[in-house]
Amino acid sequence: MKFIHKAIAAAVAGAALLSGNAFAQNKPVEIQMWHALTGLGGETLAKYGDEFNKMQSDYKVVVSFKGQYPEQRAAAVAAFRAGNPPHIMQMFDAGSGDMMGASKAIVPVSEVFKRAGMQFNPSDFIAPARGYYGLKDGSLLSMPFNVSTAVLFYNKDAFKKAGLDANKPPTTWPELIAAAKKIRSSDATQCSFTTTWLAWIQLEQLGSRHNVGLGTQSNGRGGLNAELSFNNPLYVKQVQTLIDMQADKTFSYRGRSNDASAAFQSGECAMITQSSGAYGGYIRDAKFDWGVAPLPFWPEAKGGPYATTVGGASLWVFNAPNRSVAEFKGVAKFLDYLKSTPVMTDWAKTTGFLPATNAAFKYLTDEGYYAQNPRTAVAIGTLANGKQGENTGGYRFGRWTEIRDFYHEEVEKALQGKQSAKEAVDNSIKRGNVAIRAFEKTATQ
Amino acid sequence: MERRVIFPNKLLPYLLVAPQLAVTLVFFFWPAGQAIHMSVLSQDAFGQSVTFVGLDNFKEVLSDPDYIKTLWRTLIFSGAVAVCALAPALLFAVMAERVSDRTPKSATFYRTMLVLPYAIAPAIAGVLWLFMFSPSIGILAYGLKKLGVDWNPRLDGNDAMALVIMAAAWKQISYNFLFFFAGLHSIPKALLEAASIDGAGEWHKFRTIIFPLLSPTTFFLLVVNIVYAFFDTFGIIDAVTGGGPAKATEVLVYKVYYDGVHALNLGSSSAQSVILMAIVIVLTAIQFRYVERKVHY
Repeated sequence: MKFIHKAIAAAVAGAALLSGNAFAQNKPVEIQMWHALTGLGGETLAKYGDEFNKMQSDYKVVVSFKGQYPEQRAAAVAAFRAGNPPHIMQMFDAGSGDMMGASKAIVPVSEVFKRAGMQFNPSDFIAPARGYYGLKDGSLLSMPFNVSTAVLFYNKDAFKKAGLDANKPPTTWPELIAAAKKIRSSDATQCSFTTTWLAWIQLEQLGSRHNVGLGTQSNGRGGLNAELSFNNPLYVKQVQTLIDMQADKTFSYRGRSNDASAAFQSGECAMITQSSGAYGGYIRDAKFDWGVAPLPFWPEAKGGPYATTVGGASLWVFNAPNRSVAEFKGVAKFLDYLKSTPVMTDWAKTTGFLPATNAAFKYLTDEGYYAQNPRTAVAIGTLANGKQGENTGGYRFGRWTEIRDFYHEEVEKALQGKQSAKEAVDNSIKRGNVAIRAFEKTATQ
Repeated sequence: MERRVIFPNKLLPYLLVAPQLAVTLVFFFWPAGQAIHMSVLSQDAFGQSVTFVGLDNFKEVLSDPDYIKTLWRTLIFSGAVAVCALAPALLFAVMAERVSDRTPKSATFYRTMLVLPYAIAPAIAGVLWLFMFSPSIGILAYGLKKLGVDWNPRLDGNDAMALVIMAAAWKQISYNFLFFFAGLHSIPKALLEAASIDGAGEWHKFRTIIFPLLSPTTFFLLVVNIVYAFFDTFGIIDAVTGGGPAKATEVLVYKVYYDGVHALNLGSSSAQSVILMAIVIVLTAIQFRYVERKVHY
């Protein structure tokens, strides 16, 4: 397949050379964009590509779905090594550290706009996203696009059945545990509580919510020599909580990624900590009354609850030896279109992701969208309006996708009763640091 | 004396094998060569800093306790898949053989039904079993829960292993069935009749005549099934468990994929695929060398 692709590419390139300049001037410059969004998100993004192509005739954007994030990333890496990466690639939050470690492979978004001679103001983006994808000097490495954060979804019908106040969702972990016990004892649902995205929510988001870091060097953002240091009582306590809740059957573990979502959607589990991006799906498919609450916190933590941090994905611009100025200009034009307020507001409304720009957020607020849809306001509330600290702005470690899986594996072992909560956390750190050191050795910065 | 076919045209034979050679070179030797090349390099994912490290990747892989654990796990998995795929296939073949003796018309129907699973893609087979045994929505999981079994392959490693073994074996039963069925056909009827006349029961006949005469087929299938479990079960594992929980279902070929695609650790992943290559070479050699010679009637 790859061989055939190359043959076709060579033939096309040959034809382009033969046809000469006169033809080249009329032909739109092609901009390849790869993404990993399935369903509604993918369809909507493809629609923006079509609309952009209709608006102007200098550039032609080709939006293609390339599989889940890891597969897509592997494909992009292979394409880069073959000298022909996509112009724009959508990459999920955890992959950011890896991308930043490959400084020769990418062009920072701020730089792309500069090369194209276009205005670009990083402060147009909401502060948490700016922190997560930006550099210390304020410039942005990638452009935030589909932004989400972690929240608690709860089944109001089940709450009523269990004799709980459906309009008072638990705000702290002790409250959540108490509610889960009541649901359990009243048999309102088979399962009281579950979680999706184990590492992202119970480790990364939890850290942000309590302003506790995951590693040294300002959470890995200060340099590649950072070390993981989350052997903190908070993280151990969280794993222990899951173990305890599992023991009295108030927590049910349903897998690392989004697998648990079905258990909430079908009404089997009454509470779920989940990405705010799940909103659209529950609106469509959940056949019961449900609510959204901020991610719970531990009341004894110093300074009360902090903001949650950014999840989702951002758009990265690849570099390649044969990239022309016109191509970068096309990339900048398309990114500019994507971050325009009409597109951003449409994106937020259709998909349930959060608006990535301040202007879109303001537009939606002024329009009364959040007043009419209070459930969508919860996520943006804890993300953007929550209390900010030095550890709420995200983290940045190489090989973080792999480290997340170390954490998954170790916590799974703890839930299986094969090790203690402290061992789970310690082992994750030990294995994670090995990966980080290996990454440091090969990274180019 | 050796007989040889002499082609008058010296070029023709080369031309005739050229397409096959080209396919082999491009799709087998080239990637294999690349894997060997990359297994002696240390590099970042984007190929920006590449250094030659000799056999360091192999040393690292072979001294990694996780890798050794995965190796054992793969052996257990392959053995279990082979047994679970061979035993029912043999049973079905013997039963189908008896049916076709009595009512030849219905035999075609049974055969077709039994071969059907082989036509299903691994990932689809995996998803099928995943749904049936999914703790939240699966019909069989529901049944297990009613029976008081605490079934959760998302957390319990043994449950997950049982699930992928069942799915992987189920897909292979058809293939084994076909071979056993053909093997049974080639057993001389006279032997069985003679045994019957001597008063041997069904089980006695199976134990003393059928099974020994089937042994070449059984040995051939055993090797094929182990190779299948080693290399072709990736789709099922990826769809059902993704190697989890806590690595409980991560076999060698899945680890190659995970370390290469998810962790972008190309050096280690390449070294592992070279090791796998060596294993498959050994297995194939065993098959060629001993299947024909060592197993005799």
